[in-house]
Amino acid sequence: MIMSEKCKQHVDSCRFCWMCHHICPIGNATGQERNTARARALGISLVNRDAMELSEIMDNIYECCTCGACVHDCITGWDPVMFTKETRLQAALEGATPDYINVLIDNCLETGNAYGKTATCETLTAAIKAHADKKDTLLLLGVDAKFMACKQALKAIQVLEKAGVDFSVLENEAPTGAQLDFLIGAANETKEQMAACAKVLDDYKTVVVYDPNDAKAIKQLYKEYGIETKANVVTYTSFVASLLRDGKLEAVNSGKAVVFQDPYQLSRDLEETEEAREIIMSYAVLGEMLLNRAETVWAGNILMAQYKPEVIKLVAERRIFNATSIGADTIVTACVGEYVALNNVEQDKVKIISIEDLILG
Amino acid sequence: MQIQMNEFLFAMILTELEDAVGVENCSTRAIDKVTHSVDYYWLSRMWADRGCRMPEAQYVVCPKDATEVSKVLKIANYYKLPVTTWGAGGGTQGGAIPVCGGIILDTKRMNKIYEVNTEGMYIECGTGAIYKHIEWAANEVGKATMHYPSSLTCSTVGGFLAHRGIGVVSTKYGKIDDMVLKMEVVLPNGDIIETCSAPKHAAGPDLNQIFIGSEGTLGIITKAQIRIFDQPEERRFRGFLFQDMNGAFKASRELLQKFKPSVMRLYDEAETASLIKKIVGVERKGAFMNVAYEGVREMVEVEEKILLETFAKYGAEDLGSEYGEKWWKEKITFFYPGHMMDIPQCFGTMDTIAPYGKIEEIYWAMKEAIETNFPQAKFIAHFSHWYEWGAMVYDRFIVDGKDVPQDPVEALRLHQAIWTCGVRTALAHGGVVNDHHGVGIKLGRLMKEQYGPAMQVFEGIKKQLDPNGIMNPFKLGL
Repeated sequence: MIMSEKCKQHVDSCRFCWMCHHICPIGNATGQERNTARARALGISLVNRDAMELSEIMDNIYECCTCGACVHDCITGWDPVMFTKETRLQAALEGATPDYINVLIDNCLETGNAYGKTATCETLTAAIKAHADKKDTLLLLGVDAKFMACKQALKAIQVLEKAGVDFSVLENEAPTGAQLDFLIGAANETKEQMAACAKVLDDYKTVVVYDPNDAKAIKQLYKEYGIETKANVVTYTSFVASLLRDGKLEAVNSGKAVVFQDPYQLSRDLEETEEAREIIMSYAVLGEMLLNRAETVWAGNILMAQYKPEVIKLVAERRIFNATSIGADTIVTACVGEYVALNNVEQDKVKIISIEDLILG
Repeated sequence: MQIQMNEFLFAMILTELEDAVGVENCSTRAIDKVTHSVDYYWLSRMWADRGCRMPEAQYVVCPKDATEVSKVLKIANYYKLPVTTWGAGGGTQGGAIPVCGGIILDTKRMNKIYEVNTEGMYIECGTGAIYKHIEWAANEVGKATMHYPSSLTCSTVGGFLAHRGIGVVSTKYGKIDDMVLKMEVVLPNGDIIETCSAPKHAAGPDLNQIFIGSEGTLGIITKAQIRIFDQPEERRFRGFLFQDMNGAFKASRELLQKFKPSVMRLYDEAETASLIKKIVGVERKGAFMNVAYEGVREMVEVEEKILLETFAKYGAEDLGSEYGEKWWKEKITFFYPGHMMDIPQCFGTMDTIAPYGKIEEIYWAMKEAIETNFPQAKFIAHFSHWYEWGAMVYDRFIVDGKDVPQDPVEALRLHQAIWTCGVRTALAHGGVVNDHHGVGIKLGRLMKEQYGPAMQVFEGIKKQLDPNGIMNPFKLGL
């Protein structure tokens, strides 16, 4: 397998290091030794030494959610996400990508989303049409909300409407490339999708990005891949927090006790932790789970649930346990993927709501 | 009867194991077998580094509780398949390597925290729980486990119990074997037993201590009640520089007759000059010692006074608290890639425990034996776990990568030769084969030299409990 020297160095450092064993949300949920950064690095290193076939490790390579908990935890700066994504790219180039991933990649290339969806629900379609006129501000819903959680997308629109924001929503949003980046890393196809999206965003002064996964892609990955956007790109949570600060949203605190599930894309990648808290504390009483802010534990998503539904269920269950262990009965989410994953767990101890739910009541 | 595995039998046994733990928790995939074939043992790492595959299990099973473990062991006994228990693979002695194939029994699905009991001051958990997770559970109720080894984040409760692990605050709070109240154990025949409800009693020999340190050779510990402690009101540090180690030993022995600090770490001149200089920033000749003392504030005040008076008597230079605090902050940094010894170096830690009358002699004898017989090896040491009666030397050898043979078998020979030389020297001068990393396959051959005819006690227990010899064969010298 062809691999960059930088990646090899990280692989050879991580293959015999166990220090982040405790932090992987997948490994902790499944209890599987292979779901660790060191196991992944060991497998890659053995492929590099011709002691294993690339195809033998690919399932495991796709069991990583790339949440970066291991990267954040590593005192010495080794980056298992980097070599995991590079291996995905190399596998694609060498034709070793598992079939169940190829289906998702093909969907991304054909429909712009991994789910192969081309239409959303009627209510959302109508709401989007109501914001078809070109304004300075664009609300970018993203493929998860639009195609897999349209009620949440609708609520995202309703919050901005409530605040009197003049904004556009595109009927045909350009995919941000976030899903392709997860599936095949920095491939040409990923960069092309990102560049096309950036070009669309350039037409707006401000782009409010609803899905933290898209926000991470646009605000962080685009820069890494040399893709520029002229628009002022802001996360949905930071935008809503500013609406509260400016008095455009009037909050009444219900006194209800809640905890917040930090999306890692915001808390670790974009270093945004307080904006969501600012919103929540306006409407409720915020408690903290033991692992919060940059130490947050990923609670699942929709994309991985397409091929590892049982794992995502375990991941979400474990995060719910974190909340119940401190006596919380409501988790507020700021990422549609985590909202869906947590709500897919059959349980009656904890209510899972979104920030929009909190605002809209 | 030793079975001849064939494709048909392999598939038949697989279905039985799947029935025991669930299809999704039983694997024959290459990635699972490889992952469970390399632990923190240098030889397994070197073997993989050379592009060789270590011995692998045929089946990897992940039971969720004692009942499922029992089912697996009954199957293994019937087919006479070896069973090697795997926690998180952080062991250094090769104790978790399935050298004879068979079944790897990974305990990490048994990670449930059943109870955090602040009245009885314990956490009851599955032994597959990562220790850091039970520390978090303790922290959530304002308590602490006080078991802080460098492998806190990457070892399970069962892993520490299997080889009698130890943490950096052991001098005050004890080893893992001091921290267990009660355990659930699955015997090799599948019977599930519980040890006494209290760890101190006169109801015969201590059943806990028969299984703690048995490295999966006598049964599988599936649940444990682990002690928790109040968080100290105050934890203070003090760094000292002794002219040499001898003064430090005398001072420490005297100090420990008066009170128990939590941390006591004495670095030899070589380690003071290398590791300590790099991480803590002390650039002085001599033997650096870091001491922490903690608990109720008024007691800490008194202990500090006693510490300063005692160490001053032996000429220790008081370096203040800065170095100790920095060490505490950086205590795990030492073990990350880039700071820790790593392949291509050949290295090992021969942690040796002995009474005060012998420990310094052991250090010098081992240093001389290794540096004389293996001039390519560097010998450094620190003393990090202390008792009223003795201390442990954390003695390391390091061979530069350029001096390590590329041929894996030749590299193995070198590694074995250095270990044999070092540990035999320790034994000859009154030391014990190991303090807290365990025995595994690395030191099994030296157990008989350690125990002589006393080894028959262990062998007798083994024969009675595991007549088919399926439990972690060739480990612990059994």
